[in-house]
Amino acid sequence: MRPSRWRPWRALGLRSRVTVTFGLGALALSATMAALTYFTARQFILHERETAILRQAYVNASLARSSLLRSSSPNITQLLDSLDTLPGSLSVLEQRGFWYATSFSVGENAIPGSLRGLVLHGTPATQHFVLAGSDQMVVGIPLPAVGAAYFEVFSLAELARTLQILALALAGAALVTTAAGAVIGRWASSRALRPLGEVSKAAETIARGSLKTRLGAADDPDLSALASSFNEMADALLERIEREARFTSDVSHELRSPLTTLATSIGVLEAHRDELPPRSRRALHLLSGEMRRFQRMVDDLLEISRVDTGSAELLLDEVEVGELARHAAQAAGAIRVPVEVDPAVAGLRVSLDKRRMERVVANLVANAGQYAGGVTRLAVEAAPGAVRLVVADRGPGVPVAERERIFERFYRGQASGHRGATEGTGLGLSLVAEHVRLHGGTVWVEGDDQENRFVVELPLGGGARDGSRSNGAAGLPDDRPSASVSREAG
Amino acid sequence: MSSRILLVEDDERIRASTRLALEDEGYDVSEAGSGEAGLEEFSSKATDIVLIDLMLPGMDGFECCRRLRRTSAVPVIMVTARTDTHDVVAGLEAGADDYVTKPFVAKELTARIRALLRRARSMGEPSTLSFGDVEVRPDEGTVLRDGKEIHCTRTEFRLLCELAANPGKVLTREQLLDRVWGYDYFGDGRLVDVHVRRLRTKIEEDPGNPRHIMTVRGMGYKLAV
Repeated sequence: MRPSRWRPWRALGLRSRVTVTFGLGALALSATMAALTYFTARQFILHERETAILRQAYVNASLARSSLLRSSSPNITQLLDSLDTLPGSLSVLEQRGFWYATSFSVGENAIPGSLRGLVLHGTPATQHFVLAGSDQMVVGIPLPAVGAAYFEVFSLAELARTLQILALALAGAALVTTAAGAVIGRWASSRALRPLGEVSKAAETIARGSLKTRLGAADDPDLSALASSFNEMADALLERIEREARFTSDVSHELRSPLTTLATSIGVLEAHRDELPPRSRRALHLLSGEMRRFQRMVDDLLEISRVDTGSAELLLDEVEVGELARHAAQAAGAIRVPVEVDPAVAGLRVSLDKRRMERVVANLVANAGQYAGGVTRLAVEAAPGAVRLVVADRGPGVPVAERERIFERFYRGQASGHRGATEGTGLGLSLVAEHVRLHGGTVWVEGDDQENRFVVELPLGGGARDGSRSNGAAGLPDDRPSASVSREAG
Repeated sequence: MSSRILLVEDDERIRASTRLALEDEGYDVSEAGSGEAGLEEFSSKATDIVLIDLMLPGMDGFECCRRLRRTSAVPVIMVTARTDTHDVVAGLEAGADDYVTKPFVAKELTARIRALLRRARSMGEPSTLSFGDVEVRPDEGTVLRDGKEIHCTRTEFRLLCELAANPGKVLTREQLLDRVWGYDYFGDGRLVDVHVRRLRTKIEEDPGNPRHIMTVRGMGYKLAV
């Protein structure tokens, strides 16, 4: 099978292809059946008709012969009229060169010459012909005993009409069958593909991050195999992800004890730094800087691994966004930076995790300090059904191509050249994205070369995502009210 | 006289470095490498504050804290490896007053210690505060219910005083964290919630259906008048 030849056909989609195939199959089948039916019926009807015609013609011929035998000068027209004829049939009699007929319109001339000659020479014959546009059959029987020939002309118009109606009916039936075939094809393929639809929906849900999504058990043995292998795949995937995340978490935890000793000891040294010689003081300065960075990295890694293992929890508090932004800016060291709060959302209380939002602001402020000459302003803005927190800096702008990638873990794009004396962990922006995602919100960067605007949009009315579930709540829908984990006093 | 701090921590190096840091701050430090040893040390020496690591071999930090609470209202700071809800809340419910997370910085730890020691000494409210069948005597540091004394930890007592001093007024978690624990805006509100819960079991007739310390949804707590 050359793929190029099949491409347009494949482009139709499985469902359409099955529909077309079913339709064509039904058409071929019904057309064949209709043709067979038609020809068989036609043969049969024609044969019956001819038999009846012949029988009647012979009966009439023998009647004519006997009445001609009985009298020497009979009234032939009357004789012909007295014959019992089928509707639409006409009798014609020739005697000694004279022609008699029951109709003015049909006489000697109505009978085809070849047959006439044959019969007048003593051979009985039948012939089909067309007269005035309609099918006719003529039967000629020589009556040598009385020197005559009897002809009877039968109209087959009615038979033709019957066959026409039959043909129409069969064609109609074929069309209906074709349509029905297509409909059945459509229905069957939809039905057969429905589990596939469920599989793809489940796969999408998993791709969006709900790793615990599984397919329900199917009764059908064919489908249950699909469902169980899909679920096994998802289990294996989840286990792998969890194992990796657990590893990160374990490593970070193991690092905590030595880090505590290091941090505390360095703290003691710092308290006594005046007693140290200048070179040692310089070394201590380097040591404590790296120590802080190391500590932050372990904290960030733990935070990320909690998100990855799904054990991250939102501790929801109802707070005023403006107030939160001001406190967070202050905590992040952006003390002289203006915080502009849109009056429309000034008093708005939003349910969110204070600690996480504080980290979001702190990381964005730190990012601005490291890569863009510092934060210039913070703003809280209203958006349809949401509230936005904007952290603006002095640029240079993030290149458009990097605007999504900077939220990836350890991503260092063009700004990597700015590294050096910074204390970044490479996880700051990815954690911002994770914290915001846990709140059901989105974060992006916009702006030009003079200014970057990092925008955090949080939905109003609790859009908290699956991270807000407590442990062991697997299988609950994502949109489960977040109130169950919000810290409800008392 | 300097305050004595008991360190219950199984990691020898952490113990040694923490001791150095605390001694630099002018505290006396005693050490214990296990929960059992910690309880023994506590009963043999007058101690002002106890630091308990939650992950101890044998008797864990939660159990150690619970046993300590049976006999004493001494301020307890627990040291956790995680900030997960489970560990923090379980530790607070076991009776801890506050917590620090590993790896902690000595400055952070001493700030917590100072806050706990300071408020244990500065009970300024003059008169008796009372509501319903509860009577709070800030000067004496006692709480009476139906005339009988109730045993509260110092943090519970301080929290109750704050609420009782502002009857009918809603106090947000941030305000309570600031006044009782000395935290800024981003302090962990679970401290307040668990302490309120603990207080309710002591002063409410039906803690599940409180009549004194009321929750104001989305705002904080208030003392009903």
